[in-house]
Amino acid sequence: MRRSRWFVVVGMALAVLVFLSGCGGSEPETESVGEAEQKDKIIVVGIKESIDTLDPALYRGRVTETVIRNMFDGLVTRTTDMEIVPELAVSWENPTPTEWIFYLREGVTFHNGDPFTADDVVYSFERIMIPESIDGESSPRSGMVGSMERVEKIDDYTVKFIFSEPWPIFLRMLPHHQMVPKNYIEEHGSAHFAQNPIGAGPFKFVRGQLDEEIVMERYDDYYGGSPDLPPVGPPAIKTAIFKVLPETATRVAALQAGDAHIIHAVPPHLANQLKADSNVEVKTAIGTRVFFLEFNVTKEPLDNVEVRRAINHAIDWDSIIDNVLEGYAVRTVVPAVPGCFGYNDEIKGYEYSPDKARNLLAVAGYPKGFSLVIDCESEFKDVTEAIAQMLNEVGIEASVRQWDGGVLKPKLVEGERHASFGSWGNSTMEPYDLFEPKLLPNERGNYSQYNNPEFNALFEKAAIIVDEEERAQIYRDIQALIVEDAPWAPGYSSQEIEACRSNVINWEPSPDNRINLHRVDLK
Amino acid sequence: MRWAKILERSLLTIPVMVGVAIAVFLFMRLTPAADPVDLMMGEAGNVSQAEIERLKEEFNLDKPLLVQLKYFLTDLARFDLGQSITKRAPVGRLIKERLPATIELAAMSFLLALAIAVPIGILSAVKQNSILDRLSMGVSFFGLSLPGFWLGIILILLFSVKFGWFPTAGRIAYGVNLTDITGFHLLDSLLTGNSAAFVSALRHLFLPALTMGATMSATVARMVRSSMLEVLRQDYVTLARAKGLPEVSVICRHALRNALIPTVTVVAIQAGGFLAGNMIVETVFGWPGVGRLVVEAILRRDFPLVQGAVMIFAFTFIVMNLMADILYTLINPKISL
Repeated sequence: MRRSRWFVVVGMALAVLVFLSGCGGSEPETESVGEAEQKDKIIVVGIKESIDTLDPALYRGRVTETVIRNMFDGLVTRTTDMEIVPELAVSWENPTPTEWIFYLREGVTFHNGDPFTADDVVYSFERIMIPESIDGESSPRSGMVGSMERVEKIDDYTVKFIFSEPWPIFLRMLPHHQMVPKNYIEEHGSAHFAQNPIGAGPFKFVRGQLDEEIVMERYDDYYGGSPDLPPVGPPAIKTAIFKVLPETATRVAALQAGDAHIIHAVPPHLANQLKADSNVEVKTAIGTRVFFLEFNVTKEPLDNVEVRRAINHAIDWDSIIDNVLEGYAVRTVVPAVPGCFGYNDEIKGYEYSPDKARNLLAVAGYPKGFSLVIDCESEFKDVTEAIAQMLNEVGIEASVRQWDGGVLKPKLVEGERHASFGSWGNSTMEPYDLFEPKLLPNERGNYSQYNNPEFNALFEKAAIIVDEEERAQIYRDIQALIVEDAPWAPGYSSQEIEACRSNVINWEPSPDNRINLHRVDLK
Repeated sequence: MRWAKILERSLLTIPVMVGVAIAVFLFMRLTPAADPVDLMMGEAGNVSQAEIERLKEEFNLDKPLLVQLKYFLTDLARFDLGQSITKRAPVGRLIKERLPATIELAAMSFLLALAIAVPIGILSAVKQNSILDRLSMGVSFFGLSLPGFWLGIILILLFSVKFGWFPTAGRIAYGVNLTDITGFHLLDSLLTGNSAAFVSALRHLFLPALTMGATMSATVARMVRSSMLEVLRQDYVTLARAKGLPEVSVICRHALRNALIPTVTVVAIQAGGFLAGNMIVETVFGWPGVGRLVVEAILRRDFPLVQGAVMIFAFTFIVMNLMADILYTLINPKISL
């Protein structure tokens, strides 16, 4: 009797399991990633973190930008080669160093049918520039408009940007700004807009929650996008879903299971696992982040330039790239992203030579080395440990200390630590916004406490020179100076590793991580 | 009398909550000198100092600590948890939006854990030292030792990637049009008679609930077993058997009821923890719950969001413990509040 009851309980449990698993065959969701994706062309993108907001004036992060950029277009955009091309603007001119005139595309509408005009451009920038203009809150993006003083409407399809002083990187910064509908926001308020966003981009918002998924649908009246990025026209796919999958292993599993079509932020060791899967393609792009070891030049013994040069000689970056990063990085011997504007590829840098490192240490008065703690955030632990090991080989007793980024950063800014390994983004590919925070005195990213009047003067000069060749030459000179002075040991620029199902076509990863779905299709 | 006691205990939660509010506020500010505005700007250029100063002023981060505490407590007295720094939205709304997901997962984990643990605990006690007992206790020890993130990933690899039985992540499939009434997908699908949505929500819930319930079921199974063993040796159980009562009745009606008292304590504490959201399980399964929200907020030093969420957690714990105390009196009338 008791035994038969036990069998009933086990039988029921098994029945529930079989029911749950068996439902897969006929259930709509299997269809959504299988048959329905062909019928309705649905693409699911697995992203690594929650989105901050859907208001283009209130975010800073790249993942948020990726999602927003599929609903909102900008005046200009970028190709996957980082070339600036027109989008909502058709052309522009730069009549004086402090004035830019943009001619807008006619016949463009926002998702609610409102026409896109110069008023919307003025409003989009004023929300960023004017404090407390977003329902009483200020935009965290005002640094991204530089010395912009005001934006003037000349006529319905012409706007003029006026700067207090020349800001040469304006055009390279412009792809980061998206245009918003003035009338809609004024009528409904910014809080409503953030929950029900309306843009002039290829997809319109359907529904979603910031840390779950954002569902968008093709905007059938889309003007077609940039003529420089064919095919021009409405998106090929009907539905785009950005799904938040913070755990890397889950993101990769979702791709392999067919629950996602595109994923980003694939770590090198999982990239090789994915390559073995015939249903999946791994794609890479050279990223816009540069990775380096920074020395606090105010602390002994790193205040001695010979010591800093010795450390530069002691690190075998090629070995780190091959063995730790599994080849998914590009070496840079200068403090800049390879291929950026004004990149100096004539500098040879410090070749890997433990003997030279030991000699320089002896010259500097440290023939027996010294002890050194290198700080890093936990995600950079492997590379930092490899560096420490290499320094140990030349007699420097190096160890690694891992931190939470939020705790470490203030200590680095205050100059409390000796050396740190980390990275800095340079998505404009203009060295200006790498050099300014990292090497100018008292800036928020100057962990090396570097303060060189020669560098400061060169930088100030480059910051306002509009002539591209002249500016590029100054940037090249700055790179030579920094390599000589060695406040950093420049390392590499990592590759952005992304992956897609093999039936995804017309999609290539972009150096700035953006995943634009306008042109993507399914086989 | 009992109701008066319940009311008294309920009112006592108010000073506890105020204490929690102050503690949370101070502990967050004691985290090593981290700056939410600087973290928001990330490691990239084009950030002006003026912009940083202005944002700090807007978020009241430039004010002395006591002034900030005053603002926080004044808002709290009006049931206003403030505005999130990173999400730029009211903290109350952010938490409210995510609570149904967390509660639904917690409830499912809870049910799954109890459904597994209680029968195993009883059987192990009744068949003490049998192969079944040793096996189930061995398995439960294994369950206790499994880290959630590992078990979750293994379940995904096995049941989602290998067999394709369950979805990898999320709450419900795209294309299942569910009308949102309460935010609880299972409940909403039942209310609207949407069977496709019910099955989809259940399938999405199964793996995260199993992962989260594994540890609890192991703990509860061991607890039920040891309590049952103790109770089964009592005289009144022997008497019940001597009266000729069927064994099932002796175990389920006489022994189990008393054995459940210590179990309820353990279950209540675990349930409180469940409702606070499980950051690891929510992260692994892309589950949009409160646990993940608060962890992201801690890493980015979103003080108002962390404070608001911890207040809700504290309140949940207090309520769950109060409910456990009330439950004792129902199970055993000899115990009073």
